[in-house]
Amino acid sequence: MTDINNDPKSTKALNSQLVKDDVKRAVSRRSAIKSGLALMSGGAIAASTASVANAVTPDPLITEIQDWNRYLGEGVDARPYGSPSQFESEAVRRDVPWLTADAKSSVNFTPLHKLEGVITPNGLCFERHHGGIAEIDPADHRLMINGLVDTPLIFTMEDLKRFPRENKVYFLECAANSGMEWRGAQLNGCQFTHGMVHNVMYTGVPLKYLLAEAGVKTAGKWVLPEGGDASHMTRSIPLDKCLDDCLVATHMNGEALRPEQGYPMRLVVPGWEGNMWIKWLRRIEIGDKPWHQREETSKYTDLLEDGLARRFTWVMDVKSVITNPSPQAPIDHGRGQTVLSGLAWSGHGKVSRVDVSIDGGRNWKPARLDGPSWSRSVHRFYYDFNWDGSELLLQSRAVDEFGNVQPTKNALRAQRGVNSIYHNNSIQTWHIKPDGSAENVEVS
Amino acid sequence: MNHSIKRISVRAYGVAFFLIFMLGASAAQANDIENGKKLYRQCAGCHQIGPGASNSFGPQLNGVMQRGAAKVESFDYSSAFNEAMAPDVKWNSSSLSAFLEAPLTNIPGTAMAFPGVKSEDERTSIIAYLAAIDVDGNLTASTDEGAGKADSMAAEAQPRMLAADVEVPTHGVLHIGRAALAEEVAAWDIDVRPDGLGLPKGAGSAIAGVEIYDTQCAACHGDFGDGTGRWPVLAGGQDTLTDERPEKTIGSYWPYLSTVFDYVRRAMPFGNARSLSDDDVYSVTAYLMYLNDLVEEDFVLNSENFAEIRLPNEENFIADTRSKEPHFNGSVEPCMSDCLPGVATISQRARVLDVTPDEDI
Repeated sequence: MTDINNDPKSTKALNSQLVKDDVKRAVSRRSAIKSGLALMSGGAIAASTASVANAVTPDPLITEIQDWNRYLGEGVDARPYGSPSQFESEAVRRDVPWLTADAKSSVNFTPLHKLEGVITPNGLCFERHHGGIAEIDPADHRLMINGLVDTPLIFTMEDLKRFPRENKVYFLECAANSGMEWRGAQLNGCQFTHGMVHNVMYTGVPLKYLLAEAGVKTAGKWVLPEGGDASHMTRSIPLDKCLDDCLVATHMNGEALRPEQGYPMRLVVPGWEGNMWIKWLRRIEIGDKPWHQREETSKYTDLLEDGLARRFTWVMDVKSVITNPSPQAPIDHGRGQTVLSGLAWSGHGKVSRVDVSIDGGRNWKPARLDGPSWSRSVHRFYYDFNWDGSELLLQSRAVDEFGNVQPTKNALRAQRGVNSIYHNNSIQTWHIKPDGSAENVEVS
Repeated sequence: MNHSIKRISVRAYGVAFFLIFMLGASAAQANDIENGKKLYRQCAGCHQIGPGASNSFGPQLNGVMQRGAAKVESFDYSSAFNEAMAPDVKWNSSSLSAFLEAPLTNIPGTAMAFPGVKSEDERTSIIAYLAAIDVDGNLTASTDEGAGKADSMAAEAQPRMLAADVEVPTHGVLHIGRAALAEEVAAWDIDVRPDGLGLPKGAGSAIAGVEIYDTQCAACHGDFGDGTGRWPVLAGGQDTLTDERPEKTIGSYWPYLSTVFDYVRRAMPFGNARSLSDDDVYSVTAYLMYLNDLVEEDFVLNSENFAEIRLPNEENFIADTRSKEPHFNGSVEPCMSDCLPGVATISQRARVLDVTPDEDI
């Protein structure tokens, strides 16, 4: 990076280079972090954020007329389906290639550090497929209900539109979110440690209406939803949960489901592990016992230290993470007033409180919850403070309305060992260094 | 003025005639390419194709008909394949068709563990598709994808039905949907439970499973269920569940055999689901039991003896007991100050492992 104080071309050139070449900036910042160099002091930090305590020369971004001040932009016919600004190219889903054998049966991660509020944009919701993205023409899609019912039924998409529907905001978290962190701090970035969660508004038909149409027999106690993709994903769900709050969703955030989220329809199982939210939903079977499918025996069972394994661990427990600052989102402005921000959620209900510690869990202060507070939806929290430039060990701890408390990593390990893979809802620690960069660490 | 208009018209007719001629001649070929693209999905699990395709289990196949066989330098072909193809053999339609009919018979020792495409028409379509992809992975010939759209537009032109003429079904509460036919339910309802409910009639032996496994499963799961790369390990791992690194396989971890049968039948082989016969699934399941030292090689699994079989780890699965842990249900009041003694010290850092992907786009 160029030192702004010695650059005759001054801020304009440097700024436009920085902004235009977003990627290069990310890489150079990253390599600075990687090699352990300080992220430049004073001038360089100011250059990347255009904030200087005292200007010596006038800012040409103000004194000179910029291209966008003078020339016309694109018209209304240029972007029939709009995309984010070209300057937001870092706000993308990313995968971890070494995690899985093949991208068609793999996962990518929501860039939590790039997002605000509580709603995840559709194009950034993390993806998890077991047989790639099925591309289904809704005219060719059928939903079957069979098993212990009075009348096995077939619905088309047109049929589904005639049922009463509801709008609900829910988080969806993969049971393996943070699963790589059981043994210790591993991945540098909340996108990778916590990015298997998203939060959108679903429009869908309560499953109970569809089941009532077929007429569930009294012996029916379990439900098996099945996907129409090449993995034919299946999970056993108790009938009570299906009658309580499950939806068959056709829309997310106001538009049709994205193909990677199960277009044309998916199951919504509020508060429960994401694997159960069957995408490309094509069949719902009623039975009197669970089916013990692959994703509830071989996978999504939690091996404990003594060799026993818990099964049917459906609820996603209370959890939170600080998204800013974090390893992918360092503090660039130097010391002074700053905004710490993060997300909290609980599969049991509403989040009632989030506490923040800046000293590795010795002392805690309540964070400010802001935005809507819905049951089984993500909550946004803030902690505004004046950073004196010293090292910090940041943690957040969520508590839900039923008094469930987010545990420390060690507390969770003491109960379960390190081979559970799933349901790691423990407290995350970020080490903020004097240069404002951040690292995923564990503390004792 | 008139003269020039006439001349333009004649030229326009000529162009139109030429276009119609070309479309007629290539319609069959376009059809083949379109079919071939669909059929290619069974190949795509191992062979990438298209812009940016790279090698995976098999070499990428961009421009394979032009570049010649065994010509992707970065790919490690089997010696059997290299010998059969050396030095400068190029595929043509008939040689590739012959190979694809039964790869393992045609080039014994090839790493292409794929049983082959038996239908000549299907092979012709796949080859037409491969021939239409250039070395950069771009489709060079047009397909008739637009035809379906024209049909649906024609359908829209039909007069709309009167609402009062629609037949309302009698089932349910809101009377929406239609009754499923028995054949439809049978086609989709293939799940199998531990008690054997849902098992199809049939049988298969461990010995018969060897060939199916070797051609359909071993490329990912290893010759003996030991797994290749990060693909799932299916056999071994007995008595490792309390180890530092447990190995969770069918024999060491899975509670029920029905899960093996059900999952193979619904989702395997990866990239060609639902392609095995019921007897093949019985055979593969029996062979997986053999690989896990659960049966002898002459074992025959069938719909009668299935439900009697128990896997060793069944008893070690328990209900969800999380709510008994101390951080649940208000049993702990979160501490706010001086919660831990002394100053926090860092015990572990992510950077030491350095497994975070670079932020290159």
